[in-house]
Amino acid sequence: MINKITKILSVGAVALAASFGSARAADTVKVGVLHSLSGTMAISEVSLRDILLFTADEINAKGGVMGKKIELVIVDGASDWPTFAEKAKQLTEQDKVAVTFGCWTSVSRKYVLPVLEKNNALLFYPVQYEGEEESQNVFYTAEAVNQQATPAVDYLLKQGYTKFYLLGTDYVYPQTTNLVLLEYLLSKKVPLANIGGGFKKDDKGVITNAGKYTPFSHTDYQQIIAEIKQFSAGGKTAVISTLNGDTNVPFFKEYAAAGLTAETVPVVSFSISEDEFRGLPAKQLVGQLGSWTYFQSVPGKANADFVANFKKWLPTSPAGVVKEGRVTCSPMVLSYEGMYLWKAAVEKAGSFEVDKVRAALKSGLSFEGPGGKVTSQPNMHMTKTVYIGETKADGQFKILSTIPNVVGEPWLKGKFK
Amino acid sequence: MLKKRPPLLLGTPLAFIAWPLIMNFFYRALCRLAWLALLTGASVHAADTPRQIITKAILAESDDARIATIGSLVGQGDESIKILLAAWKEDALFVYTAPDGTRTPVQLTGEKDAKEAQEAWRVDDGQPLKDAGGQPSRLVGSALTAVEHDSNLRRAMKAVLDLLDLSTTDLEKRVRAIQTIGFAQNPDKIAALEARSKLETAPKAKLALREALALIALKDQSDDVKIAALVELKELHTISSTDFLKATIASPEAAANPKLAQAARSALSAVDNHISWVNFFGTIFRGLSLGSILLVVALGLAITFGLMGVINMAHGEMIAVGAYTTYVVQNIFGTGLALSPFGMSISFPGFHATGWAYESYFIFALPLSFLTAAIAGIAMERTVIQWLYRRPLESLLATWGVSLVLQQFFRRVFGSNNVQVSSPSYLSDNWTFNDIIFGWNRVFVIGFAIAIVFGVWLVLTRTSLGLLIRAVMQNRNMASCMGVRTERVNMLTFGLGSGLAGLAGAFLSQIGNVGPSLGQNYIVDCFMTVVVGGVGNLPGTVVSAFGIGLADQSLQQILLNPVLGKITVLIAIILFLQWRPAGIFVTKSRSLEG
Repeated sequence: MINKITKILSVGAVALAASFGSARAADTVKVGVLHSLSGTMAISEVSLRDILLFTADEINAKGGVMGKKIELVIVDGASDWPTFAEKAKQLTEQDKVAVTFGCWTSVSRKYVLPVLEKNNALLFYPVQYEGEEESQNVFYTAEAVNQQATPAVDYLLKQGYTKFYLLGTDYVYPQTTNLVLLEYLLSKKVPLANIGGGFKKDDKGVITNAGKYTPFSHTDYQQIIAEIKQFSAGGKTAVISTLNGDTNVPFFKEYAAAGLTAETVPVVSFSISEDEFRGLPAKQLVGQLGSWTYFQSVPGKANADFVANFKKWLPTSPAGVVKEGRVTCSPMVLSYEGMYLWKAAVEKAGSFEVDKVRAALKSGLSFEGPGGKVTSQPNMHMTKTVYIGETKADGQFKILSTIPNVVGEPWLKGKFK
Repeated sequence: MLKKRPPLLLGTPLAFIAWPLIMNFFYRALCRLAWLALLTGASVHAADTPRQIITKAILAESDDARIATIGSLVGQGDESIKILLAAWKEDALFVYTAPDGTRTPVQLTGEKDAKEAQEAWRVDDGQPLKDAGGQPSRLVGSALTAVEHDSNLRRAMKAVLDLLDLSTTDLEKRVRAIQTIGFAQNPDKIAALEARSKLETAPKAKLALREALALIALKDQSDDVKIAALVELKELHTISSTDFLKATIASPEAAANPKLAQAARSALSAVDNHISWVNFFGTIFRGLSLGSILLVVALGLAITFGLMGVINMAHGEMIAVGAYTTYVVQNIFGTGLALSPFGMSISFPGFHATGWAYESYFIFALPLSFLTAAIAGIAMERTVIQWLYRRPLESLLATWGVSLVLQQFFRRVFGSNNVQVSSPSYLSDNWTFNDIIFGWNRVFVIGFAIAIVFGVWLVLTRTSLGLLIRAVMQNRNMASCMGVRTERVNMLTFGLGSGLAGLAGAFLSQIGNVGPSLGQNYIVDCFMTVVVGGVGNLPGTVVSAFGIGLADQSLQQILLNPVLGKITVLIAIILFLQWRPAGIFVTKSRSLEG
């Protein structure tokens, strides 16, 4: 009962503060949050809204940005790409936000892009993506392919793996990543015959598509597992998986039932972070590999403080934020670090104007984040530390390898010869 | 050149004196080198027993030192190595820090007592750990420092265990150990393999040994030895030899010796032939298992839609009811379940069962998921559907509405994320016969499908309820005139169909996701199976389920693409329905509307 009363009071306080804030607009700065809070992507994206709420509270408690408190304008992209464009338009033209944090899927980013470019607005994009893009209106805190996939391949090569099976969900990120990986593997003298999953060639014999793809929410992995089993006979094989979301469950259950294990044929997944782990069968995933620029298990004070502060903040968070069983993961931390980099850029530029902030970002600002030091680059990407880890039964990763200061490079196709 | 020099030296009297001296020098140098390597690698004393070496590895500061120390165990044949490394992998090793600060690695074994304490054995000498009074002490694992391990370390352990495993009694392990040695193609291991061949009795391990020896022989200098090995490999035609055969064909030796190339090519074609047979039978098995899944999920719909004529869009949600029931039962067998539906909080205490008792949850989940889904179906029939017989379009809309309500209900009760259902170990292993994998979950679903089809057939043809069901479905008015309580029969029939959907859900929880949208993923497949089979015809559903399953898997195998396979099947079904709109088996009826 008392709990309920305090809840009502706190909601009231938030509403009051909000109305108070808008009344004294000069003391606040509006910041947009554009994530899917409903629909299929909500499972992943709501966590990013939560971390942005936390970050704004943390910055405001320390005095805000250039003395102004951050006022978040949260809109719902509803897992629908045209809605993303519409809401971006609302944020930039109506609410006139100084900056927006948002988008998860590449397709939502592509929809938002024209709106941003028309209004010269700035978006911070926090989720691993396929590269081949460098807009002046997006700052990519996201992992580029060379900050996630190629370091993982390097690690596997060092472990003596000689055969690689490429598998992914059928959309732009896995397709592009696998093409880059194919070029990368070939440049590392891995023969084409040792790369599994199949290829598609155009009339001139140039490979246009590498790897095996299954649709979203595919359930029948028998055939693919049988293929992997045959492919892996007689050589050290690793599976490189860009399978998304819940297709991992039937895949890993079938994988275990076929007698494949992390020790004989490990799977390195680029789309399973601590947050996704909550809905996956832990027993079948133990020992499989992951590659991100942050794990909750990263050692050091910065991360320990970050995790502790987030957990401390959760009980005080607004209604609608799930309070139990929360973990931190790479997209969350990249959102967090993005907001701090933006703060640093604004303070260096001495202005909220997008052009000046962008120039400050391009000059190379650093922030000591939970995942180690990050530095903004002239190409609107971010230099950061890459971690390779293996999953444990409790849903955390044990870090196996740390590669510091990896420069974000979006244009990778045709780079590895 | 090298081979020729010793006889030349030996031929002279000087050599007789020089040779032992040279050998002696080399021997000493080698010893020293080995000594140095050991010292720098991990500072292990030569006289250390395997137990002491493992103790040092546990206490080592860095991961690298640990791996090096473990690596120095290679070639040791002590039984304790296996026990301790296994304990290490299974997290049964701990470091006990005495009050004076000395750290002693211990292994905890035996049953846990009331205080969670277990017997503690010293790793370094295998004796019980004694407390200050000299009594064996019992320790609590969670209060000690657990000894960690990662994949690099496990790999180092594996290298040690590989040679140990050559003589293990576990056949699977032994075969894997033999294969690992064979794939490495290291001629040093020939002696160990040949020694094992003399002792080996298990046919599977014998084959593996022959393959390993042949693979190592491929690295031999002489072409004749290689050709003999290739003949052997041709006879064995193992899938694992493919890469090695391809490498041999591409090697410069094969280019120089056409006989060798010919032998390698013929061995490879034997392997390819074998693979195509494996794929053929594998595809049939996978097709049967996919067909069984379709049959299991569609059988309930064949009753509610096929026999009763209700276009039941909520069929998928009945499947989800079964799957969620399995989840609830699993949690009650385990640690309990806390739910917070609609802001309330409900908690079911758990039995805290472990091991075999826990895994038996699935046996209990099956009938319970049938029951809950049947009750949900009966409730739905009483509240919504009973008003809509003979009005198929309204029933379509109404059941669709029910399906949306149920989905939202699952979200409110179980959360919008998928829930975890673990597969019991008796469903997550396989038989591999002649390289064809028979996953136990797949074998189970085939048996399960046969059992429930047989059960439904028994109910419909051998019980009085079945008689009434058939009577009501054929002519509702006439049955009613004969004194059959048609309302009650409708209700029970719908309950039967829904219960079967629940059973399907219990099974699907073992191979896929359990989430609010589970039903949506299967509803199209269900209708497809029933319509192709012929509405109102149970044998038709069986034939169409297996037909679609086999066609789907064969096309996947041929087109090497899961999406194209499914598209092709759907196009084929559309064309088929153009040709035979009433499905494979047409139900003949004398009624005018039919």
